[in-house]
Amino acid sequence: MSSKNTKLASMRRAFGEALFALALKNPNLYVIDADLYPSLYLTDFKARFRSRFIQVGVAENNAAAIAAGLSVTGKTVFLTSFACFSPAINWATIRQSICYNHHPVKIVGSHAGLMSADLGASHQMLEDVALMRTLPNMEVFAPIDASELKIMLPVIAYSQTSAYLRLVRPDTPLVNSARSFTIGKSRFLKRGDKITVLGYGPILTQLLLPDFDKFSLDIINCSSIKPLDDKTILTSIKKTGRCLVIEDHQQNGGLGEAVAKLILTSGQKCKFVHLGVDNAFGQSAHNYFDLYHHYALSPLAIRESLKKLLSTHAHS
Amino acid sequence: MALFSAPKTHPLHSKARSLRLDILEMINHAGFGHIGSALSSVDILIALYNSELFNFKKDRFVLSAGHLCASLYAVLADAGYFDKQELFTFAQFNSRLQGHATINTPGVNYSAGSLGQGLSYSIGLALGDPKHHVVCLSSDGEHNEGQVWEAIMAANKFHLGNLISIVDYNGCQIGGTTQEIMPLEELAGKYLRFGWTVTTVDGHNFYELERVLKKSKDSSIYPACIIAKTVLGKGVSFMENNYQYHDIKKLAPDLFITAKNELQKY
Repeated sequence: MSSKNTKLASMRRAFGEALFALALKNPNLYVIDADLYPSLYLTDFKARFRSRFIQVGVAENNAAAIAAGLSVTGKTVFLTSFACFSPAINWATIRQSICYNHHPVKIVGSHAGLMSADLGASHQMLEDVALMRTLPNMEVFAPIDASELKIMLPVIAYSQTSAYLRLVRPDTPLVNSARSFTIGKSRFLKRGDKITVLGYGPILTQLLLPDFDKFSLDIINCSSIKPLDDKTILTSIKKTGRCLVIEDHQQNGGLGEAVAKLILTSGQKCKFVHLGVDNAFGQSAHNYFDLYHHYALSPLAIRESLKKLLSTHAHS
Repeated sequence: MALFSAPKTHPLHSKARSLRLDILEMINHAGFGHIGSALSSVDILIALYNSELFNFKKDRFVLSAGHLCASLYAVLADAGYFDKQELFTFAQFNSRLQGHATINTPGVNYSAGSLGQGLSYSIGLALGDPKHHVVCLSSDGEHNEGQVWEAIMAANKFHLGNLISIVDYNGCQIGGTTQEIMPLEELAGKYLRFGWTVTTVDGHNFYELERVLKKSKDSSIYPACIIAKTVLGKGVSFMENNYQYHDIKKLAPDLFITAKNELQKY
């Protein structure tokens, strides 16, 4: 998206490969799968680590509590499915058996957002971040691309807190240049001084279009959604006085709400625009660009929002 | 009939009496508690914690039906996990004895309350530590939850010979009998068809409970289910089989005295 020459890569393939590499080093790494391992590129994991691949079938509640019990016995447990099933179907099991019981299970929800275009609204999970960021003892992460996923995964795997990792279906632009990831730290994709742009996941790469350079954007990748990098965000907003948050998720309960609260609590003055799905379900389309256009998340909608933000005085 | 008329000759019988009194006192003192199933399940827990079959430093007990925790608290206090006086803090602010069982209480391995999850959790434990046993206690009403059936299927798939599922089958749930709310019909047959070894037992008879616990522990290939037929509110005549005693607030003074008198003669 940032230009025609940008390389694309599959975040899901990167996940399968990175988890395989971790499992080679860690004999206690287990996968609990709810019958979606091919979609998460875990076929090699299943073949190589047969005793550490536990197939529980299409039963996400059972899967979540088994994962919790297994982690008590000293295993590093990944629970893999689509976001629309896990954490959607099994949220109450995650709440009690994982979070309330303090078990560091890693929940991987793939196919999040409108990016699962042709599958339709049932699979286009737009509420997962909202569901997970409300849970005590739960951290929430969404990599911007396959490259960031690879540096995130080992850090998340060895963290002693339960975590939700949000993945998307299509191949998406490779933009990450960072070599390390720290929980609770965001990173700049571009530096500017007029508008702070916040987001997570591949949708944020749309802001890297050369077209938008004229707006002097301070673009921050908030792949650590919870804990959020409050300090970096507020420092940028203090400088710009304008903020655009974009996410392939419902506005309700998303990053935008977290940031709005952060800004209000800090007492800083800031012009604020939140781009996300506005209290609606998705629908099928052959590609997600059509959906981003329809739900006002496309470069066109972004340009309008940036113009609107610049047309007003910051800090007023 | 022999069923439900537990022989008083067993050495654990006096414990069954004194812990019932503890349960009544702690719930009445708190003005809150699920007394019906606490009294139906307490003999199962006494048998479990006083048997030499299990070493709960290594074997694990999971209470899936977290609401019946008053009986577990009474049994754990009796077993020395914490001081018996602490029972009187049940459900108070800052107490380690929460209204539904949590891992804050010494001896409790699973924080519960939302039904249907404990058997799945027990499967995770049994898979991760095949050398030790996992005993899970659930309720019959809890089997309304679909997740229980997901777990029953999975335990068979994984050949969890180290897993024992005990069902406190008291025939009642909050709003009526299980027959009325959602018929379980022949639960033993259902577990059997799902690949478990199953034994139905009088859940108030220590001789039977001990025998069946041993037999279930020895089942090394199949997961074992014990269907413990029990009586809701066992020991207090006006509570027995009366679903309105699923949970109570403070009892009226005359009812409390009646209940206490009956339990003293249990």
